Amino acid sequence: MEAVLTRHLDPTAPLGLPAYQANGGYRSLTAAFDLKPEALIKIVEDANLRGRGGAGFPCGLKWRLRGTDAPRPRYLICNLDESEPGTFKDRHLLYGGPHQIIEAIIVSAYALQAERSIIFVRGEYAKGGNSLSRAIKEAETAGLIGSNIGGSGFDLQIEVHISGGRYICGEETAQINAIEGRRPNPRPKIPRPSVKGLWGQPTTSNNVETLVNVPHILLNGADWFRNLGVNGGCGSKLFCVSGKVQHPGLFELPIGTTARELIFEHAGGLAKGRDLLGFIPGGASTAFLLPKHLDVPMDFDPIAKAGSRFGTGCIIVFDDVTCPLQATLNLIRFFARESCGFCTPCRDGLPYLAQILTTIAAGQGQANDLSLLEELCAMIGPQSFCAFAPGAVMPLVSSLQCFREHYERHITTGHCPFDTVNKKGA
Amino acid sequence: MLGIIRIDGHEIPFEPGDNLLKVALAADVDIPYFCYHAALGSVGACRLCAVEIMSDDPDKVPRVAMACLEPASDGLEVSVSAPAAQQVRQRVIEFLMINHPHDCPICDEGGECHLQEMTVACGPAYRRYQGHKRTFTNQNLGPLVHHEMNRCITCYRCTRFYQDYALGDDLGAMRLRNEVYFGRFQDGPLESPFAGNLVEICPTGVFTDAIFRQHFTRVWDLKTASSICPHCSVGCNILPGARDGTLRRVRHRPHPEINRWFICDRGRYGHQYSEHTARPLTPRVAGATITYRKALIAATEQIKAAGDRIGGLGSIREDLEGNALLRALLNNLNGIFSAFNDPELEAATITAVNRIQNSDGTPSLTEMEQVDAALILGDLTAHAPMIDLALRQAYRRGAQLTVLHNGPTPLTQFAVTTLPVPPHEMGAYLSRLHERITASPASKDVQDESTAEIAERLAAARRPLLIGVVETLAASEIIALAQLATALGTDARLAYALPGANAYGAALLTLASRKTTTILEAIETGQIQTLIVAGTDPLGDTRLGSRWRAACQRLNTLIVLDCIATTTTAAADILFPVAAWAERGGTFVNYEGRAQGFAPAFKRLELLPSTAEVIADLVQCLDLYLPDAPAVLSEAFPGYQAPVPGSAGSLMPVHPLPTHIDTATRSDHEHHHKHWQAALTTWYGDEELASFAPALMKLAPTATALISPAAALNANIEEGAQVKLRGPVGTMTLPVQLDNRVADGTVALTRMALVQLGVGHGDLLELEPVS
Repeated sequence: MEAVLTRHLDPTAPLGLPAYQANGGYRSLTAAFDLKPEALIKIVEDANLRGRGGAGFPCGLKWRLRGTDAPRPRYLICNLDESEPGTFKDRHLLYGGPHQIIEAIIVSAYALQAERSIIFVRGEYAKGGNSLSRAIKEAETAGLIGSNIGGSGFDLQIEVHISGGRYICGEETAQINAIEGRRPNPRPKIPRPSVKGLWGQPTTSNNVETLVNVPHILLNGADWFRNLGVNGGCGSKLFCVSGKVQHPGLFELPIGTTARELIFEHAGGLAKGRDLLGFIPGGASTAFLLPKHLDVPMDFDPIAKAGSRFGTGCIIVFDDVTCPLQATLNLIRFFARESCGFCTPCRDGLPYLAQILTTIAAGQGQANDLSLLEELCAMIGPQSFCAFAPGAVMPLVSSLQCFREHYERHITTGHCPFDTVNKKGA
Repeated sequence: MLGIIRIDGHEIPFEPGDNLLKVALAADVDIPYFCYHAALGSVGACRLCAVEIMSDDPDKVPRVAMACLEPASDGLEVSVSAPAAQQVRQRVIEFLMINHPHDCPICDEGGECHLQEMTVACGPAYRRYQGHKRTFTNQNLGPLVHHEMNRCITCYRCTRFYQDYALGDDLGAMRLRNEVYFGRFQDGPLESPFAGNLVEICPTGVFTDAIFRQHFTRVWDLKTASSICPHCSVGCNILPGARDGTLRRVRHRPHPEINRWFICDRGRYGHQYSEHTARPLTPRVAGATITYRKALIAATEQIKAAGDRIGGLGSIREDLEGNALLRALLNNLNGIFSAFNDPELEAATITAVNRIQNSDGTPSLTEMEQVDAALILGDLTAHAPMIDLALRQAYRRGAQLTVLHNGPTPLTQFAVTTLPVPPHEMGAYLSRLHERITASPASKDVQDESTAEIAERLAAARRPLLIGVVETLAASEIIALAQLATALGTDARLAYALPGANAYGAALLTLASRKTTTILEAIETGQIQTLIVAGTDPLGDTRLGSRWRAACQRLNTLIVLDCIATTTTAAADILFPVAAWAERGGTFVNYEGRAQGFAPAFKRLELLPSTAEVIADLVQCLDLYLPDAPAVLSEAFPGYQAPVPGSAGSLMPVHPLPTHIDTATRSDHEHHHKHWQAALTTWYGDEELASFAPALMKLAPTATALISPAAALNANIEEGAQVKLRGPVGTMTLPVQLDNRVADGTVALTRMALVQLGVGHGDLLELEPVS
């Protein structure tokens, strides 16, 4: 497949406005302004563009549900707060070429008839956020942003908000609180942000990768986009592969590509002599999959059917000398550290899980620790306030299922079985 | 239309829009909870109120949901006792107890700890967590609230109260994960006048009462009784707690129309006056301590000797019974009685009460929370803190506040328009506002934009409130405010913050106007030989203190009844120490005209009768016949029934008040370039009783002369410069502080400074830089 989203991206020398326009940039604006906003939403719906931030909610449907009669002002938030471990696709979009993001926002905001858009950039991506701000100024000077853009009668203001820097700020409603200058705790989901979001106004939040697809869909049509995918998927996808592979990296491939192809063809497979223990398909908050799942298409529904989540589509690979307990503990520690501290199960439950896992990893686990972990996970996931804790316990729950014998050996032998393997290997 | 939900078989009606937890609690069905609070609503943070909800579809499994976030809907089947819900609650308690220090035996909250109760009710009896506990460093939050962060269960109630409800900004949630820290950016006293509510709003022992802590007792050992706060005219319901003959603390007692869940810090911490070391506890005659019996005999002799040359001063902080009996005694002796010691305050208070009685009723605090615009005259935060809190709720709901003030007042930060008006110009300004509201559209000039804006805002409001602080207004201005309310139509509400806990009652007991002047002049001309003063300090008055001091020199006998040490008690020939408010029963009439009864929570070891009891004893010694206080009151107010302590209270019957009110504006209008208008600037802790509360007084602002930057520029005075102030009685030197909330030509001074200078609010004084 020919690269679509990454075609003109170059983190070492991102295109400025003239070069971007010379390569066909901002052409979608004319196409968009020729259409009624509803027609544009229809095209995105027909393209079956699903949210790339992790949840996979159909983008066109999200936009339609906001409603054309939503009171003004309306806001569009572009979520570029990529903080998921193993995920670095949005970073490439940001550093590779800011104008593609701006173009996507203008077109999407036009579809939503939103007059103000805020790009929420991860704190660690501040340099990228600053060049994005400069690119916005460039576009403003060129009349691509502002009032009556291109004589269309459409007004738009775009701002960059650089995050204070916490994982939870990526959560839709916590992000709204953060932009408002409040503590980034998630808000109740009723009323929905599309009704009462940023500053109490109708607000639509989309992941940046979702949005950058929109101009291409508009220029090439919904059918073209649907045909980009394979194995029943629609569109192109930025995949990341990291962990125990020879060539970790970012690959733009058809959605529906198998993990086998991603890991073994594009990421160069595992180191010589190493076997695949398992992988996490969509960022740290998704369930482990096993070698038997290598041929499942990397797409929302097939991965869900296999018992995990497609998430961000960013694979972390574990080989046969990696202790799955240690790997899971690492993830749980991350989530315990990033809990916003709002609700009890997440705030106090995750550190409890980390404490039990630490004890087992140190060879001091008790026989009933595994059932205790399962009991706690069964409460923490469903009973917490937002989607953070359900995602956080997912790798642990699946790890306990997939690699139970390794956990048990930690407890029965009093040490990590992988220590011996690694010592022998060395 | 009401619907019905079923909780474990109990059928419970609900109002549409209510959540399951609110519905259940209203019906006395227990669902455990932490973060929910009726004043703060539901946030879904603690996850303790898990209940099981049956599905309409019998094939579907029931789901566990948080009762606080689940809207009640007709026919909903809910179970609190379902094992799945119990499991969730048990896990929540287990999680919350992971880092809790389990220090109940040494914790001040023990015995009234919501966490303790919930843990016993829902939690596991044994802990499974084997790891380390997190440890926090506590902060010094000032003299009123003690901080112990390790006990925190992160329910966010403190910040939701402090920031969201009371609109304070110096306490908040910091950090994240299981290290969320509730405190200030750095150590220092909490700035909110409502900070003490943290003690009650916190479900465990993170914020505890720092005063109670100094002389601690277990809460189950406290003697309590339904009482009424004596520190301002709002009449918040309180629950004093005492042990071993000493008052240890004060908490709120809910009144559905007044203070509901909260009280202000003056109400919570002002009670230290009754334990103050200077408090008179033994009767004194001619400077020597004496038994109560002998003091009665001495007083009886003097009263008999005086014949009808006797006067009596009641008080705006004395209860209805004490005032009424004193008045009855003086009537019997053909003497003169007044409940005030300052004619201007007398006129202002009677006028305000008169206007309230002639209006459709003054709004309660809960009604004030519902107004959509308010015109505020003066510093409500200092004179009626809980009215300030009610208006903060109105502001949160979108009400537009306009504040006309002489000096700084905290409510200006929430106002759309704030206008510093010199005391002498308040009346003229109100007339302009009145003209503007009543003028025909064509005749409305556009000269004064801010007046037009304020007038239009009030006229456009559906439920505007007009409220003034009586202590800093003249009677004519009080009338002008009432006229504004009339001009705005029937939806406008009128209220006044009165100058004392029983100022309304004191006004009702005043049968003729200018009684205070009559008494003062009678003393000065020698027509009064003996003066009985009950619960007031005329000799320490700001404007008239020196005149009273001089006049009292001419008295044969000054008999004083009080529970605090004042200038007047110091000058007393015969002193009867009386019971403080928590030590006696009585009745106060609040700013609404609501009579509320209070009962004694305890007795001290010393013999300390109430004012009414002392007067009743005097009556007996004088061989007079007088009915008791309830009979005197029902005779004075036909239809009056003494309100039962703990009840909601009852409105005083409408009572004819003297109509001749001296509306002459302030005495001295000549303007001299050296003359400035004095304005009383005060703070929420400033009140006669509360000024004897040492902890509260640690927060008192330092004495300065506050003037506006423009006036300073005009007079060539710089910030921090020393100025000499000269009043009719004395002089003093103070550093200047510039504040643009002070009106032009006005110098805002503390009460102490006014007393020393001998000027009242609005009086003129001289100010010159010290070279």
